[in-house]
Amino acid sequence: MSDVVEKTLTALPSLLSLDSQPGSAKLSSNSKLGNLIRGITELTSKHEEEKLIQRELLLIKEQVSSPNTTMKQMKELMVRAIYCEMLGYGVSFSYIHAIKLAQQGNVLEKRVGYLAVSLFLNEGHELLLLLVNTVLKDLQSTNLIEVCMALTVVSQMFPKDMIPAILPLVEEKLNHPKEIIRRKAVLALYKFYLIAPNQVQHIHNKFRKALCDKDPGVMSASLHIYLQLIQENPEGYKDLAPSFVTILTQVVGGKLPMDFNYHSVPAPWLQIHLLRILSLLGKNDQSTSEIMYDILDESLRRAEMNHNITYAILYECVKCIYTIYPKSDLLEKAAKCIGNFVLSAKINLKYLGLKALTYVVQQDPKLALQHQMTIIECLDHPDLIIKRETLELLFRITNDQNVTVIVEKMLDFLRISKDDHTSMDLVGKVAELAEKYPYKCFSVCI
Amino acid sequence: MIKAILIFNNHGKPRLSKFYEHYNEDTEQQIIRETFHLVSKRDENVCNFLEGGLLIGGSDYKLIYRHYATLYFVFCVDSSESELGILDLIQVFVETLDKCFENVCELDLIFHVDKVHHILAEMVMGGMVLETNMNEIIMQVDAQNKMEKSEVSASPSVC
Repeated sequence: MSDVVEKTLTALPSLLSLDSQPGSAKLSSNSKLGNLIRGITELTSKHEEEKLIQRELLLIKEQVSSPNTTMKQMKELMVRAIYCEMLGYGVSFSYIHAIKLAQQGNVLEKRVGYLAVSLFLNEGHELLLLLVNTVLKDLQSTNLIEVCMALTVVSQMFPKDMIPAILPLVEEKLNHPKEIIRRKAVLALYKFYLIAPNQVQHIHNKFRKALCDKDPGVMSASLHIYLQLIQENPEGYKDLAPSFVTILTQVVGGKLPMDFNYHSVPAPWLQIHLLRILSLLGKNDQSTSEIMYDILDESLRRAEMNHNITYAILYECVKCIYTIYPKSDLLEKAAKCIGNFVLSAKINLKYLGLKALTYVVQQDPKLALQHQMTIIECLDHPDLIIKRETLELLFRITNDQNVTVIVEKMLDFLRISKDDHTSMDLVGKVAELAEKYPYKCFSVCI
Repeated sequence: MIKAILIFNNHGKPRLSKFYEHYNEDTEQQIIRETFHLVSKRDENVCNFLEGGLLIGGSDYKLIYRHYATLYFVFCVDSSESELGILDLIQVFVETLDKCFENVCELDLIFHVDKVHHILAEMVMGGMVLETNMNEIIMQVDAQNKMEKSEVSASPSVC
């Protein structure tokens, strides 16, 4: 893609100024949006851009309010409004028309109307109530595209008080023959759970059904919900641990359809989700952890290929192994894995290796010691993020001997850091260390 | 959960901005500016993960970004997302755009911002990842576009 982009960049001025270029037919040379963008590109100052867009907005405002504007024209106006809004200009006059477009337009006009609504409005907006009836109607439509659109908008924003009105319709979609609708319904219900948990208490058994859905896509969507539910209350879901282990075993064993493979790895994102869930369930619980050991071993073994996504799975595996009830040979393999990450030339892996070390250092301080040369090298790494992560790690392994050096390094970093958030965090850490080792830090901090 | 997805060019001009949590307009623009500021300072050989900065909220959020020639793709996520997983998701998104627009370039994103949103909506819904398979995403978008073909006969469709 980058070659094409380079070519395009150099061709940009000529493409935009000559309407007769063949490529520009693709670039909507006749559209008003095209003209607007061409206009903006030719300007040289922000002030001129503001003037042009304000003029454009006045024009749009006039046309959206006109009774003669067709839905087709409204759709085009709305796209321009979306574009202006993205650049930071207020388009509140168009909100009501976006809702109207979603209500009255045909399918493709409705799509733009819903898009505009999802970009302009929010849960608490008073105008959102006007959309409720449209959404209710579309959820019952025979046109599946309309049902999907309604579900999408509902998961982005929906007035909390109106949830009881829509809940039965969304629930019913959980049994829809089409997989994509069941999947979207699951995510919509998850959103409802997040904003109004007591409204969806009674349908937890339906989530279980989604977990056992014959389509892996729907099951995958239900994991979002389970991750949240289990985070809030791990005890309540221990009985599901065997099911999650079984699912992961099947996925890793390649039992899913080929479609779910990504660069020859079976459903990696699904594996990552499952590993997170398992670590929550196995924490401090020996019997639950015991059923996971085999599949964790298998996952570690399988994820040997050289692709980003297998490293992602390995990382989750390693974290899981360190979170659940410990098993020595698994821990050994995980430690080796972390070592590989930290020593890797790939910078993203180094970063994750450091993060993993920070995570496990309480349990396994020897591991950090084993890699101390690499850690010290990372302190001088050109990437500030790596430096910062190293300091985070060092903070956790400070003792009487090394505190002076560590505080010195932190102060060095503070001198060059330009990010307020990081600086604040580090200052806090330095203060904490100073309190803990007052005599050691005294001379450094002066 | 994904909090926001931003695409902007090397000069910080936004090409797509989608927030899955509500911020008022001014805050959204500030977020875009701050994100551009954070991301444009980075060299080519550094890691693709950044802490979010004061604006988008404490240490639970991070920015995961990829730079493709003139465009930055930035996903702002919380700790429930896997960093490398999101990095690959960005790649899936870009490959999907590439397939839908036939060798996508910045101009496509500029002139067809609504279409890019429609593609994104089949991948991420309400801040949650809905679909990770490029062909599935394209299938959904195609089904919608078929409606377009039957409604409007003359104008060319891009997907």
